[in-house]
Amino acid sequence: MDYKEEIEREIAANKVLVYGKGTKDAPRCGFTLETIEFFDRFGYPFEVIDVLENVPKREALAEMTNWPTLPKVFVNGKFYGDTDILGPMAQSGELQTVLQEAFGGPAERKETINLH
Amino acid sequence: MIADDALATLIRAELPDAEVGVVDRTGTMDHFNVTVRSKAFAGKTLIEQHQLVYGALKAALKDGRVHAVELKTIVSEG
Repeated sequence: MDYKEEIEREIAANKVLVYGKGTKDAPRCGFTLETIEFFDRFGYPFEVIDVLENVPKREALAEMTNWPTLPKVFVNGKFYGDTDILGPMAQSGELQTVLQEAFGGPAERKETINLH
Repeated sequence: MIADDALATLIRAELPDAEVGVVDRTGTMDHFNVTVRSKAFAGKTLIEQHQLVYGALKAALKDGRVHAVELKTIVSEG
């Protein structure tokens, strides 16, 4: 099976894609959870693909990105590493620009519910 | 598992001028906070800087001595 092709298809199909350990609902690694929480804050849709048990796919990913660890984040088809890269990019505002360009506009913000 | 200084030695084998700070996050000697300061980072994007460090740790990550790294790179001006 050609994992490189599968990965390229997945990257093309998702504007924000996280390869991690576990799923969005059940992350199985602290760094994957951190990355999910990170993208939750931006309000754009994103996908998490669990590759914890899929060693050959993880190896194909590592080779394609020259990046040995999980999670691995792709935005608009481009590799952005993990939150060690995305955190400083969000602080400088660079990531917001990348996301706006990917989605063609600002995210739909969830209404803040005031309980008082 | 790997000792802090052994991890730093792996990084300096690739980046000889590097100042390396290692903190064991979990006390299990396999999840680390690593800070690397090197002249080799000059002119490189953050992602390229991290790729340089991960290149040095490739074998240790693959064989499981190191599970996870929270990495910070700093361009040395000196």
